[in-house]
Amino acid sequence: MENHFKQDCLIVLKEKLADGTIDRRTFLTGLVALGAFSVAGGHMAKAAGGDLVVTNWGGDAVPAFKSAFTDGFSQSAGLAVKIDGSGSTKGAMKAQFDSGAVHWDICDADPGATKSLGQAGMVEKIDYAVVDKAKVEDGFAYEYSIANYFFSYVIAYDASKFAGDPPKSWADFWDVKKYPGKRTMYKWMAGSLEAALMADGVPMDKLYPLDMDRAFAKLEELKPHIVSYWDSGAESQQLLRDGEASMGLVWHTRANLVETDTNGAVSWTYAQGIMAPSGWAVIKGNPAGKEAAMKFIAWCQDPARQVVLLETLGSGPANPAAHASVPAKLKRLDCSAPENRALQVAMDMDWYAVNSDKALDRYLAMVGG
Amino acid sequence: MLLLALYVVPFAGVVSWSVTQPEIGFAQYWRILSGGDMTNVFLRTLRIAVISTTITVLVGYCLSYYWVMGSRLRQTILEVCIFIPFWISVLVRAFGWLIILRDNGMANSFLMAAHVITEPLGTGRNEFAVIVGMVHFMVPFSVFPMATVMRKIDRRILLAAHGLGADPATVFRKIFLPLSMPGVFAAFVMVLVFSVGFFVTPAILGGGRVVMVAEAVFVQMFQTTNWGLGAAMSVVLLLLIGAIVGLAYRLLGVRSFVG
Repeated sequence: MENHFKQDCLIVLKEKLADGTIDRRTFLTGLVALGAFSVAGGHMAKAAGGDLVVTNWGGDAVPAFKSAFTDGFSQSAGLAVKIDGSGSTKGAMKAQFDSGAVHWDICDADPGATKSLGQAGMVEKIDYAVVDKAKVEDGFAYEYSIANYFFSYVIAYDASKFAGDPPKSWADFWDVKKYPGKRTMYKWMAGSLEAALMADGVPMDKLYPLDMDRAFAKLEELKPHIVSYWDSGAESQQLLRDGEASMGLVWHTRANLVETDTNGAVSWTYAQGIMAPSGWAVIKGNPAGKEAAMKFIAWCQDPARQVVLLETLGSGPANPAAHASVPAKLKRLDCSAPENRALQVAMDMDWYAVNSDKALDRYLAMVGG
Repeated sequence: MLLLALYVVPFAGVVSWSVTQPEIGFAQYWRILSGGDMTNVFLRTLRIAVISTTITVLVGYCLSYYWVMGSRLRQTILEVCIFIPFWISVLVRAFGWLIILRDNGMANSFLMAAHVITEPLGTGRNEFAVIVGMVHFMVPFSVFPMATVMRKIDRRILLAAHGLGADPATVFRKIFLPLSMPGVFAAFVMVLVFSVGFFVTPAILGGGRVVMVAEAVFVQMFQTTNWGLGAAMSVVLLLLIGAIVGLAYRLLGVRSFVG
């Protein structure tokens, strides 16, 4: 599910580069910081001769990127880094392990999915002798993965209609009388169950384990008012920008882009937002070995790189030390900063590890039924 | 040999997944057939496929008739209308329809400006939009087999019927229509097989609600890694397509397809 988010980041980054909002250098540093080591050549970089293969949600090749990144990490670990952008979906990771032909060293993956793969013996435990637990937000250093950045599912709304009394909660999101207009929610469920339960009056700190029956009953209630269950970040942005939806559950990065796009005609809030981590994971039997992979993960914990990631992509730093150096104009985008996090609830990836498959089937059936 | 290595062997793997994952047995097939969420996906897919195929063949028949029987000018215009969409990517066409059909899209804006309607029709992002998008995509595919058959109809027979006193409607009903039926059946089967496997158009025009079998398989394989169910769905889909094709061969004979 969060895989979609990562893909989306790359799209945003490329758009920014294309329209000149950022220069190529920032673009490249952004990719490095994200761990979105864009594909050189595009496919299945296979590790050989001690190289490190990092996988993510690449797009077009960015020739200069590889050298920019490789230089940085080579100095610290003495390894060349190759990049594979074919996407570390849960299915792809399982397929690599099952076939015995693992050619990815480090995956940028969903911590929930990673946990279930880990419990099935397919993913390495994170070595906290090498990776520093203190360099990640409390509670996001997992057994089989560690947070590398954050993003949030937030309420975005039509400020041209609701500016006087903007929505402040999921209860408002469900209130189509007070806030008329269509809604849009995420097709791949994440965040929707939490939103529904909060709308139904469950306190933020009592959400997990999610009461599925209650959540689905509440979701059914809003179904007639959903114009579309968005699939891509671009779609969520379009629905709000064109006024097809007056309110949406969207990623905070996209919410921020619509706000800029529309000069504030669409706005958004962290109120009752659902903050989700993305994580680094290592498939068992990775070619470069566990140790090299862990070194790489540790290297990525550097706060300065994570701020660059925030600048270019809007993703919140995983390392709390990074917040202090976030420029004032980016404070709002920094979803994991203490002042923003106080308004939000953190997504419980342990719940997702156990329940997400079943819940997603049920969600898709509900949406289509 | 190549077919065996590249197709049959991997597919045997898929079949074996469907009865071994997560455990040995037919649980995944029961889930598809038991009337639950996955049954609904199949029923929805079949319903949309049959509706859109029927409309496609009707539209395609009219176009083919004009294409084959029309004047040179009319033929040229029709060729442009058939080939240009045929060459445009399915993705672009789906987004195009979205722009036309959505609530504040071109169709609704036009109708509202013309005071035909007072509220948007709700034509975008639902099953209706999916069917429109699918029909538009498939019309050219239905035209080709039908036009081929129609071209082979001996015009002298039509002239003879006319000469013997039949009016144009009778000539069409009694002579042209029956002679063109093999083309209609061939087009129907081809388009139906095509439509049960649609992915992009429902994903874009369905507003997230119209999940068809192809997308559902994708979800099981990549999102939830329930490979057994994904594999079982692929097998059922293949059997379904096999049944459609098999039935068609049985009823119509091979000749109408290759001829």
